[in-house]
Amino acid sequence: MELVRAERRDEAIVQLLPAYRRKVFGLAYSFLRDREAAEDVTQEVFIKLWRALPAFDGRASMSTWIYTIARNASVSALRARRPQSSLSDAEVMDAVESSNPAPSADVLVDRAAILRLVDQLPTKQRQVIMLFYMQEQSHEEVANMLAIPVGTVKTLLHRARARLSASAGKMSATA
Amino acid sequence: MSTPHSELDKHLAALFGALDTRSDFDARLMQRLRAESQTDATERAMRARQQELARHRRAVLELQSRRRLTLRLLALDALGVSVLLAVAVIAAWSRFGADVMDISCQYGPYIAIFLAALIAAVPLLGMWGERTRSPIRLP
Repeated sequence: MELVRAERRDEAIVQLLPAYRRKVFGLAYSFLRDREAAEDVTQEVFIKLWRALPAFDGRASMSTWIYTIARNASVSALRARRPQSSLSDAEVMDAVESSNPAPSADVLVDRAAILRLVDQLPTKQRQVIMLFYMQEQSHEEVANMLAIPVGTVKTLLHRARARLSASAGKMSATA
Repeated sequence: MSTPHSELDKHLAALFGALDTRSDFDARLMQRLRAESQTDATERAMRARQQELARHRRAVLELQSRRRLTLRLLALDALGVSVLLAVAVIAAWSRFGADVMDISCQYGPYIAIFLAALIAAVPLLGMWGERTRSPIRLP
């Protein structure tokens, strides 16, 4: 905030980047379900932040402000994009594999199946699941990121887990 | 022993826990911010120049209008002075002595021409000065 007041935007961004890069990326990814698009949106969000920093008056908290910009940018990107990709895209699986080195073939099959199941969840449940597990975030943080009450996050998380468990159970029974 | 929920948790954490931007994300962002910064500075300089040009144009117009007003006042002033002088000469005509009358009859036209030229010279000089003045130019 002091850097913002001193109009040292570049330094302010350098300080904000490590704290919010993954969170903004996660939020964008939960909307877009596309790694490339989520990275583009994350870049756009930080550029918008850099431009808007002088106008930040500190009435809302910095995180709330950043998440609002990230949500709006993600929704705009989502509207502009046709057709929608899904979490089980090969590109997404590659990204998951590259971030989790050397998993066994069975584990990869499981992950691909779970990705498909997550993809079938209703939007809000899917977002909550993704954000919660992306950084083992707290319910409060996920609530702040999605601008919904903490209780709603807990409910959505519970429902999503139950649904995924049931679907996974059905899959293993048929296998 | 692990429950289905904890297995699911493990899979989900493995799937989403390590998802992150590419390693060159920060470098690319800083590069874009530098480009934005340059564009921003150029735009600000252009805006400042345009504002300065507009201010200069306004100042020049105001100066021209003041000059015209001053010239008009000077012309009116000269006219008033000449009228007053004529009235004073006519009023005092009968009281002048014979020697003054002689001088005035002899040099009257010259004196009148000199006074008229003097009075007319003021606005004429002003107008000449206005025409020959080079306009101020911004670098």
